[in-house]
Amino acid sequence: MNKRTKQKFAFFFFRLFSIIIVGILIAILGFIAVNGLKVINWEFLSGMPKEGMTEGGIFPAIVGTCYLIIGSLIFAVPLGVMAAIYTVEYAGNGKVVRFIRMMTNNLASIPSIVFGLFGMALFVKGLGFGDSIIAGSLTLGLLTLPIIIRTSEEALKAVPESYRTGSYALGATKLQTIRKVVFPCALPNILTGIILSISRVSGETAPILFTVAAYFLPSLPDSIFSQAMALPYHLYVLATSGTDIEASRPMAYGTALVLVVIVLFFNLTATLLRQRLSKNMKNK
Amino acid sequence: MRRLILLALAVVFGMSQLSAQKIKGSETVLPITQKAAELYLKVNPKAQVSVTGGGSGVGIAALIDGTTDLAQASRKIKFDERQKIQQSGNTVKEVAIAYDALAIIINPGNKVTNLTREQVEGMFTGKIKNWKEVGGEDMKVVPYSRETSSGTYEFFKESVLKNKNHMSGIMSMPANGAIIQSVKQTKGAIAYVGLAYVNKDVKAVHISYDKGKTYVEPSVKNAVNKTYPIVRPLYFYYLRKNESKVKAFVDYILSPAGQEIVKEVGYVNVK
Repeated sequence: MNKRTKQKFAFFFFRLFSIIIVGILIAILGFIAVNGLKVINWEFLSGMPKEGMTEGGIFPAIVGTCYLIIGSLIFAVPLGVMAAIYTVEYAGNGKVVRFIRMMTNNLASIPSIVFGLFGMALFVKGLGFGDSIIAGSLTLGLLTLPIIIRTSEEALKAVPESYRTGSYALGATKLQTIRKVVFPCALPNILTGIILSISRVSGETAPILFTVAAYFLPSLPDSIFSQAMALPYHLYVLATSGTDIEASRPMAYGTALVLVVIVLFFNLTATLLRQRLSKNMKNK
Repeated sequence: MRRLILLALAVVFGMSQLSAQKIKGSETVLPITQKAAELYLKVNPKAQVSVTGGGSGVGIAALIDGTTDLAQASRKIKFDERQKIQQSGNTVKEVAIAYDALAIIINPGNKVTNLTREQVEGMFTGKIKNWKEVGGEDMKVVPYSRETSSGTYEFFKESVLKNKNHMSGIMSMPANGAIIQSVKQTKGAIAYVGLAYVNKDVKAVHISYDKGKTYVEPSVKNAVNKTYPIVRPLYFYYLRKNESKVKAFVDYILSPAGQEIVKEVGYVNVK
């Protein structure tokens, strides 16, 4: 075999494997879409579950997931962004920072079920919140903290040093520099991190299992101390329990489709936002 | 500013006082409470009900540490669980809301229709390894169990296995639906579920508790006339101090409308 044919051979395989990967993704999405679209209608999106969850809709699960997203962001965004500002702008490059960074990385690699157990021990039992939206939001917030810290750090580091020195040269203090110069420049990338963490929050099941998720709520939660239904757990419920699994199967596919669409929507928004804002940045 | 925060907290806590009736526990009881909660809200639009699974053990544990108002259980409360509640100065109340017949299920492709209690015991303790030992095809027996926090597991162990242990390495399933799925897909499978869960994907065998003299089909009728041997009550447990909070819902399940739900989802009514 000469060099040319070898190269052709190799290219063929590279191409084949990438097509396989895309193919798998399309197959999964297609399967869910074909099975899920049959049940998707206005009632499915805006109604309560009926007839032992074999009819009606998944509205409380959609609302629950939205509450959990908002709740976890309220907790994780300020904490994560401020931690990132501290490590990048203030802490220098000493032992403490390296220790914090190592811990954040470790936090990111903890399995989500462990966060669930921790959340149950601390928020549900320890602080006495019970199974509630606040306990679930805090647990999910902990889970997304490392993502937000890491992306915010990278975003801040990407701001050129000359911006900072320029600002100091004009007589600005460090806090002014961070607020008026560094942070606005880093914002697009920080936002991307936040949006990615939203898609993580909306898809996680393990952390909410012991801290917030209800099997069934006939009405919407009325305070942050109520339990809530959530899409991923509702999907699990529809697929595994209930006395008539066959009848709730279409509902399960519909729920899966809604969940996938939500996650894809947030991921797409993140990508578009990043492209858009970084283009604007360059033009300035 | 501080006053505003305090006010907000007070409002939030005040609201949490209103949101009552957390129900938690047995997966077997879930279909009843789920549907009851659905219809109860139509009668009492202002009520707040939440229904969570986890298993009988989880429900009673939540009752003990105060994170649920009503525990649903498919077994009786244990002595040490009752003691823990008494130690904290409370008394627990028990209400039987329905009966459940436990069906022994196999793959529809399996030709066996009758089994004695002793044979089922043999299969789950690992003594009987092949279906041909009980008159079936030459096929490996694959028993599926529920996990140990399940009340169904406890009741099966007590009633059918006479308190012997399941064989080691048995496959444990987290929910009744998962059991049905596994039995549907595995030719040599045997498992146990509440009668309400039995559907066309699995076959319920006739059971004999008198060493093979009479075999009885698991059905609501045979559970009511007490000829089917593996029947257990399903319970609600609550603390006496919470009685006023949960009474309305418990009464609803025991009312004719509530008992109609019990029958509808496939269980046996108590009244």
